[in-house]
Amino acid sequence: MQTSPHANILDDLRTVLGDRARDGDFELGLYGKDGSVLQGQASIVCLPVATAEVRQIVEICRKHDRPFLARGSGTGLAGGAVPVGDPVIIATAKMNQIIEVDLENRIAWVEPGVLNLDLTKELTPRGFHFAPDPSSQQVCSIGGNVANNSGGPHCLAYGVTSAHVAAIEVVLPDGSVTVLGDLSAEPPGYDLRGLFVGSEGTMGVATKVAVRLTPNPPAIRTLLLDFPDVRDGAATVSAIIAAGLIPAALEMMDKRAIEIVEAFVNAGYPTEADAVLLVELDGLPGGVEHGVEVVRSVAERHQVGNIRIAADNEERELLWKGRKNAFGAVARIKPDYYLHDTVVPRGKLVEVLDKVYKIADAYDLIAVNVFHAGDGNLHPILAYDSGEKGVLERVHAAGRAIITASIEAGGVLSGEHGIGLEKRDYMGMLFSAHDMATQDMVREAFDPQGFANPLKVLPSGSRCSDSFGQHVPDGAWV
Amino acid sequence: MKKVEINLGIPHDDLVSCVSCGLCLPHCPTYRVTQEESASPRGRIALMKHAESTGFIDEEFVEFMDACIQCRGCETACPAGVEFGSMMETTREALATQTSYQPWWRRLGYGILGRPTVLAFVSRVLALLQWIKVVPKKLGLPRIPVIQRPLVASGTDVWLFTGCIMDAWMRDTHRAVQRVVEATGAGVQFPNKAAACCGALHVHAGLGEDARLLAERTMTAFPGDAPILVDSAGCGAQLKEYGHLLGTELAEKFSTRVFDVHEWLAERLDELPEIQEASGRVAVQDPCHLRHVQKSHHAVYQVLGRYVEPVGLDDEGLCCGAGGAYSAFHQETASQVRDRKIESIRRAGAPEVASANPGCLLHLRAAGVEVRHPLEIIDSIMTKGG
Amino acid sequence: MSSLHAVPEEVHKFSAEVGTSDPITVVGGRTQWNVGGTPDGSAREVTAPSGIWSHEPEEMTVRCGAGTTLRELSEQLAQHGQMVPFDMPPNATVGGALSVGRSGIRRLRYGHMRDLVLQIRHIDCNGKIVTSGGPTVKNVSGYDLCRLMVGSLGKLGCLAEVILRCLPKPQATRWLTGVIDPFEVYARLYRPSSILWNGEQVWVCLEGVSSDVEAEAALLDLTEVEGPPPLPSDGRFSVEPKALRNLSVDDTNWIAEIGVGIVHSDRPSKAQKISKTNESLMRELERRLDPNGRLNPGRQVVPL
Repeated sequence: MQTSPHANILDDLRTVLGDRARDGDFELGLYGKDGSVLQGQASIVCLPVATAEVRQIVEICRKHDRPFLARGSGTGLAGGAVPVGDPVIIATAKMNQIIEVDLENRIAWVEPGVLNLDLTKELTPRGFHFAPDPSSQQVCSIGGNVANNSGGPHCLAYGVTSAHVAAIEVVLPDGSVTVLGDLSAEPPGYDLRGLFVGSEGTMGVATKVAVRLTPNPPAIRTLLLDFPDVRDGAATVSAIIAAGLIPAALEMMDKRAIEIVEAFVNAGYPTEADAVLLVELDGLPGGVEHGVEVVRSVAERHQVGNIRIAADNEERELLWKGRKNAFGAVARIKPDYYLHDTVVPRGKLVEVLDKVYKIADAYDLIAVNVFHAGDGNLHPILAYDSGEKGVLERVHAAGRAIITASIEAGGVLSGEHGIGLEKRDYMGMLFSAHDMATQDMVREAFDPQGFANPLKVLPSGSRCSDSFGQHVPDGAWV
Repeated sequence: MKKVEINLGIPHDDLVSCVSCGLCLPHCPTYRVTQEESASPRGRIALMKHAESTGFIDEEFVEFMDACIQCRGCETACPAGVEFGSMMETTREALATQTSYQPWWRRLGYGILGRPTVLAFVSRVLALLQWIKVVPKKLGLPRIPVIQRPLVASGTDVWLFTGCIMDAWMRDTHRAVQRVVEATGAGVQFPNKAAACCGALHVHAGLGEDARLLAERTMTAFPGDAPILVDSAGCGAQLKEYGHLLGTELAEKFSTRVFDVHEWLAERLDELPEIQEASGRVAVQDPCHLRHVQKSHHAVYQVLGRYVEPVGLDDEGLCCGAGGAYSAFHQETASQVRDRKIESIRRAGAPEVASANPGCLLHLRAAGVEVRHPLEIIDSIMTKGG
Repeated sequence: MSSLHAVPEEVHKFSAEVGTSDPITVVGGRTQWNVGGTPDGSAREVTAPSGIWSHEPEEMTVRCGAGTTLRELSEQLAQHGQMVPFDMPPNATVGGALSVGRSGIRRLRYGHMRDLVLQIRHIDCNGKIVTSGGPTVKNVSGYDLCRLMVGSLGKLGCLAEVILRCLPKPQATRWLTGVIDPFEVYARLYRPSSILWNGEQVWVCLEGVSSDVEAEAALLDLTEVEGPPPLPSDGRFSVEPKALRNLSVDDTNWIAEIGVGIVHSDRPSKAQKISKTNESLMRELERRLDPNGRLNPGRQVVPL
C-alpha cells in the first residue's frame, strides 16, 4: 500500500491539533481558492485555535521543510491566500475572540479571525468603531485586513489599516513568537509593525492584533447624487477635493452598477442616471453641514440631477448595503467577474474611466464601475461567462490593458486588494528590478528561505529564495 | 473513505451562479459556530460543483451536506441571488435516492408525520409518558394533551392550516390564532385530514417524492378560493413553494392563496380591537422561513406593534438552530447556534419573546427561554383587556 | 511610464553624491541632530536635494526633495489652503523630520507623520536609487518600505525624494488653557487636535469649522491662549496613553500629550527596551540593507 507523502507531517500536526488537521479530498478543495478567480491546490489544512498551536504548526512545517500559508476568511481578490508551492494551510478563522477592549487606550486586542464588522458592532455601543471598512467587511477578518493593509470607503478620511494597528503578535517563519509595535506612541527601533502590515502573509502569521479605536462621529450625512453623464460625476469628485474638502467617503457607481445594485437592495438608486456619487460627511455638525454645502455647490456646477440626503440611519445603511454588495451582485448579469483594483490620480479619473470602457468594448466584455472615487481607487469589474470559449484570454488581456492605462496615468497596481499572485508579475510595471530586489531583501530579514506564503507579491525572478517551486496555477496572470 | 457514484442533477447555471465572494459566510449559522469553509454556503456550493464535475462523492461530502440547517439565510445575504435552498434540496434528494443517506428508521419517522392517526397515537403515548414524568424536560416538548379537543369552525372566510406536529402538540396555539383572526370579524374553517402535513421536513430530508405526494393531498383539502392562513412559518414557506415543488398551474394558483397569518392580519390592523394601553416590550425572533424564505417577517412586528413594543434582534435573522428535524439529528451544532440566538435575545432586553414558528419555539423553550407565538401573546392581551 | 513615475534629475545627482563606499552622514536642518546618538564626525556630509517638484492642489499631494525645508513646504501649501501637520521648526527638512520620525503635537488628530507618506525614493548603501510606495493617495503595491524608512535615522537608506499627502488647513484653530482634568477633556471632545498637560495645567487645541470650534470650546471652562506652551526638549519618551495617569517623573519639567502617550521632559530619557527577537530582526535589516554600516554612522535606531 502506498502511503501518502503527507503522512508524516500530518501525524505530527494531528498530535497538536487532533481532528483540526484535515486532508479530506472534498475539504481540501475548499481551501484551494479565495475570492479571486485563481485556483491552487491545498494538501493539508490546519484549523488552530491559539497562538501556541500556530507556533507548533510552523515548527512542524520547518521540521518537514514545508512552507505554510495563513488564511483568514478567504475573501481576498488577488489570490494572496491561494496555495502555490504546496504550503500547509493555516486557517485562522477559529481564532475569533475579541480579547480585550481597552477604552482608555482606545485599543482592542483581537484574534486574527475576528470579522471586521463584528468588531465594529461590538464597539459601536461604546462609542467607537474600527475605521477600515472594506466592502467585504461583514466577512473579512482582521488578520486578512492586516495582511493586505485593507482600505474601504472610509479610509479616504481615516486612513488604511496600517494607521489603525498599534501592535501585532506574530509567529515568525522560524517559529518564534514576537510582538511588533506596542501601545506606546513611539515604539523603539524600526517600524517592523508598519512593514508587516500589508506584507500579505510573507513575513509570518499574525495571531493577535491591537487595533486602534476611532470615536463614532457625532453627526453623519450621507448624500446620493445622480449625474446624467459619468464624466460629470468624476469631475465632481476632483472638484470636491480641490475645494479643500475630504469627505468621510466618496464613492462612485456607473449606470450598470446602479442597475445591479438596485435589483439587490431596492434602495431607490436612480436606475435612469448615468452615474451616482455616494458621499458621506461626518464629524461635528458644523463641519458636516459645511461639507454638505460644498458638495452641493460643486455638484451643481457639474450638472448634478437629484441630490438625495438619507433621512435616517436605516436609509443610510440601505444605501451603503447597495454599495458594499455591488461586486457580488454583478453575477446578476454574468456568472463570472474579474474585479480589478488600481489607483490613479483623482484628476485622471475621467480619462482612465473612458479608457476602461473602450478597453472593455475592444475585448467584447462588459465593464461595470463601482469604486472609491475620492481616493482615485478604481475597481473596474469585467463581467463574463467562463463558459464562452476563449473568454479568459480576453479578460486577462483587457485587465492588462486597464493596469497599463492606470500606470500610464501616474497610478499604481493596487489600492487595497494587494499583489498576491494576481499581480506579482506586473510589479515590474511599477518598480525597477533593483526596487524589487530591495523589497525582497527586506522580506528575507524575516524569512530567508521563503517559508511563509511562498511565491507571492514579488515576481519569481526577483526572489532569491524560492525554495518551493515556481508553479503558478491556471488563470494566474503570467 | 469509500467513493460512491452520484449525479446531483443541479442545473449548470445554478451551480455557476456563485462567484464565491464569501459574503454569505457570516449569515450562515453553521459557519458562525464552526468557522469552517465546509460548513458555509460558499463551501457547500463548491463541494456540489466538485461532486458534479467528478461524478463521485464520499461520506465526508454527505456529512457536509447533512450539516446544513437549510435556513436560507445565505439567500438573503447573497448579492448575486444564488438560489442555495433549491440546490441543497436537489442535492439531498439525489443523496436520498442514490445513496443510503436516509436510513429506514428516519424514513419511518418522516412517514408518521403524514399519517394523522398514527401521529395522534404516538402523541397520546408521549402525553401519558409526560404525565408519569418520564420524558426529560430538556427535550423541550410542550405539555401534550392526553385528550385533544377538536377545533371548531366559525365560518368560511379563511382557512387555517393546522399541520402535523403543531396540531398534535400545540393545538392551543391554533385556538389562540383562531380567536385573533375572528376578532377581525372573519370566520375560520379548518381542512380535513388530507392536509395532514405540508411536507417541508420531507423536502429538507431529500424525500422529494413523499413531499410531492403530501403536497398533492394537502391541496385537495382546501377547496374554493378562500385565503389559506398559516401560523407556522415553516409550513407557510412550504405551502408557498408548492408551485415550484409540483410545477403545475394548479399548485402555482394554490400557492398564491397562502399567507402567513401575520401577513393577512397586517392588512387588517384597523379591524383588530383596540386596547387601552400598550403593554411591555417583546423580543421578536424572526423564523428563517418567515424572514429569508417568505420575506414577510415585518408583518409580525406590525401586528405585535398594535399591542406591545416589538424589539428586533441584532443578529440579522441568523437561524436559531431548530431547522425542523435538524435539532434532533445535530444536537451539538443546533445548541451552539441556539446559544448565539439566546445571547442576542438577552441583549434585546425584553421580558418576553415571540416566535412565529413552532419549531423555533420548541427549540428555544428546550433551552429555558420563555417564548410564545406572537398571536398567543396578543390573544392573552385581548382576553385580559377585552 | 508616466512622468509621475519618472526619477528626477536631482535624485540621480544625489545618488552620485552618496556614492558607493565611504561613510556618509546626511545633513538636514540639524534640528534633531543628536537623536539616536551624535553622528560620527569623520563621515562625509551630504545633503539631500531640495525643492517642491510638484504640488497638485486638487490631488492634495506634494512631491519634493527630501532636503526641502518645512518653511518652504508650508509656504507652498498654504497658498492653496493646505498643510502637512509636522509641527516642527521651519528650518527642519522634510527628509530629516521623517528620518527621525517624531510626529508633532497635533498627532492626536492627524495621526503619525508616517501615515502621510505616499512614496519615498532613497539612495541605498550602494548609491542606487530605490523607489517604494507610489504617487497616489492609496496604494498597496509591494512591501511597505515607506513605513520602515520613517524613523530609521537614515540607517537603511538616505531619503532623496518624498511624496506626501496634504490636508486642508482648518478654517479655525484655537488654543485654550486652564486647570482641568485632561482625561475628562479627552473623553468629552470629538477628535481634538492636541491635549497637553504638565501635571497641573492643560492646553487644548481645537480645529475645524468655526462653529464647531466655538461649540466645543464652550464645553470647557478654559481661557484662550496664543498657542501651545514651549516644550521641554532634552528628553522624550512614550508610554501607553492611559499610563499618563500615573506618570512618575521626579522634579523635572514635563509636558505630556494626552491620548497619544508622548512625554516631553527636560531630562534625557532612557531608551525603551526592544525584545531580543525584534532586535535580531532589526539587525538583520541593517545587515542586509547596509552591510558595512556606511550610512549615518554614530547614530543608532537600535541601541548597541
